[in-house]
Amino acid sequence: MKKLLGILLIVCLLTGIAAAGAFAEGASGDVEIWYYWETEGHQKALSHIIEEFNASQSAIKVSAKYVPFADFKKQLSIGAAADALPDLVILDNPDHAAYAAMGVFADITGKFDVSTYYPGPVNSCTLDGKLYGVPFGSNDLVLFYNEDMLAAAGCKVPTTWDELLETAKACSSDKVSGFAHSSLQNEEGTFNFLTWVWSAGATAYEMNSEGGIKALTQVKKMVDEGAMTQEAINWTQGDTMNQFISGNLAMMINGTWQIPTMRSEVPDLKWNVAPIPQDKVQASGLGGENYAVIAGGNEEAAIEFLKYATSKDVCLYMMNAMGYISSDSTIAEGQFEGDPVYQVFVDEMKYANARGPLPTWPQISDAISLAFNEVMTGTDPVAAAEKAQATIDSILK
Amino acid sequence: MNRIKAFFRHDNIGLLFALPAVVYMLVFVGYPIVHNIILGFQDVDVMNFLRGQKHFIGFGNYVQLFHDEVFFKSVANTFVFTVSCLVFQFLIGFALALFFNREFSIARPVRGILMMPWMIPMTVTALMFKFMFSTKVGVVNNILTGLGIVPENIEWLTDQGIAMIPVIITNIWIGIPFNMILISTGLTSIPGELYESASIDGAGRFQQFTRITLPLMRSTIESILVLGFIYTFKVYDLVYVMTSGGPVNSTQLMSTYSYKLSFDNFLYSKGSAVANALLVILLLVGVVYVRITSRGEEAYE
Repeated sequence: MKKLLGILLIVCLLTGIAAAGAFAEGASGDVEIWYYWETEGHQKALSHIIEEFNASQSAIKVSAKYVPFADFKKQLSIGAAADALPDLVILDNPDHAAYAAMGVFADITGKFDVSTYYPGPVNSCTLDGKLYGVPFGSNDLVLFYNEDMLAAAGCKVPTTWDELLETAKACSSDKVSGFAHSSLQNEEGTFNFLTWVWSAGATAYEMNSEGGIKALTQVKKMVDEGAMTQEAINWTQGDTMNQFISGNLAMMINGTWQIPTMRSEVPDLKWNVAPIPQDKVQASGLGGENYAVIAGGNEEAAIEFLKYATSKDVCLYMMNAMGYISSDSTIAEGQFEGDPVYQVFVDEMKYANARGPLPTWPQISDAISLAFNEVMTGTDPVAAAEKAQATIDSILK
Repeated sequence: MNRIKAFFRHDNIGLLFALPAVVYMLVFVGYPIVHNIILGFQDVDVMNFLRGQKHFIGFGNYVQLFHDEVFFKSVANTFVFTVSCLVFQFLIGFALALFFNREFSIARPVRGILMMPWMIPMTVTALMFKFMFSTKVGVVNNILTGLGIVPENIEWLTDQGIAMIPVIITNIWIGIPFNMILISTGLTSIPGELYESASIDGAGRFQQFTRITLPLMRSTIESILVLGFIYTFKVYDLVYVMTSGGPVNSTQLMSTYSYKLSFDNFLYSKGSAVANALLVILLLVGVVYVRITSRGEEAYE
């Protein structure tokens, strides 16, 4: 018995020493990640790289927790107030500036090299010249269309707003809506609505301009003439994709990340993508997530994991599984060689506009999606534009 | 030491037993309310939520709310929602309770089944009704157009003027069992002899109802209505799942608006101010309730 105790004691001492050794080396301990991807394939891909990382070394143990998108901001705010945050989050890039301004994220300027990254995504992680995160990956929006439905209606792929209206009307029937994009009154809706504003030549902050009013008027016209379904007010981008692959929708605006799901769920459906029909200029929305290290968490270990996750092979695996375009230009070049569908997205990246970065962006975004929701349910575009502009001006003053 | 002994010698020991409950209330109910009230008088937003100076701005947030049309809309919506839900829940619940109070062979199992809506998680109910009320594929529109009752699909959840109706219907469906079971309990407490002697005296069914049932049920009815009001007034999850307050704030309640301000727009103090306004309204209702019930007790004495 004494012998056994002795052995135990020695084992304890040894492991204690080992742990202390690892500590001296630098990063160690647990790293918890929060993310909001609802798609199973995305969740599996993240688990996969975490498992690989945990197996590759013994000092750091990474785990991930899924928080639904609708709850993500609330959980982050509550966690920040209660000091119960994870060590690393993967969040929607328009929200990045707000949390950075709040002081939730660690300043990692100089600790991470982003010189080869595209400037748009890097900007979204930057506040007052300091780097508060690392771009995870980018996506943008294009027009998806059902080839059979367009052919049956005798239409070709629309390239202008007028053609979109006519084509959508031609494809509509009792059960099929011609066109839709997620029109929720939140960031998801704003992301899609802004493509109209940008295409009409206005910025997100100029709703009461010629372009802003034109965009609102066109969306109202689309809905009033039955070309765009009003039901999209309650559709997430995932819902919109589901309607499209169920054959209830002939055309939609949606993002890169839907492609892996669509290819595996409905391999027989004939669909394709094209640039979003335009008014004055070609425009798309830049989306994507950023990694952000939480200030006061296990910062060192989180950065270690970041370096692993953004290394070329791991990043490429993750991007392909997610249907994202890498934000690292050295990786993005050649990422989709020989894939015509993805090539459309890569080309559209040149015309993809970013939202923000601005700590008060969530309020601006709310005013924009509200204005579009108003015109979709009957309000006069000029009145909606004036109201939105008044709100935006009061926030920016 | 003697003092402590002396303290517990008499009935004071009861205080000790109440202590855990008091501590629990202070920590989990008292603290959040006090914190929220303080937050409502500050200027906390995205810039000073965690660091930086939090200034006290008096009634600044409340003044802003008085210039905010969405706030007034949310207050009006909340009252419309609460009152409509309450009226229908109560009437239908009362009717069902009277019906099932007559002992027939399957009364008990059916009454059990009718409890179902009360037991299903709120979000599940909300999603279910959201699908049922969807414009093109929803079962409600399919039935209505199929039977020729309406000529074309109704935009249940996406029309500003209509969206409140399906939300209210859903909440009525959820609330009926609660009303029914409490009224049933109240009905069984009325002695059967009263009805017997009434019928011997020649009172009809309607007279029995208005002269015996209603007066004896008064305190039960008052409790149900006040509890129902408080429950319904702060409903959040149902609306959040079905419409998130939209389209264009047409179903925005005070609860959802408070959430939206705090957690979507990061205007924490303004969100707290809305929550405090909600609290004040409910406190007023609570005071009315206490006065009504205490008056009733005095009358009995």
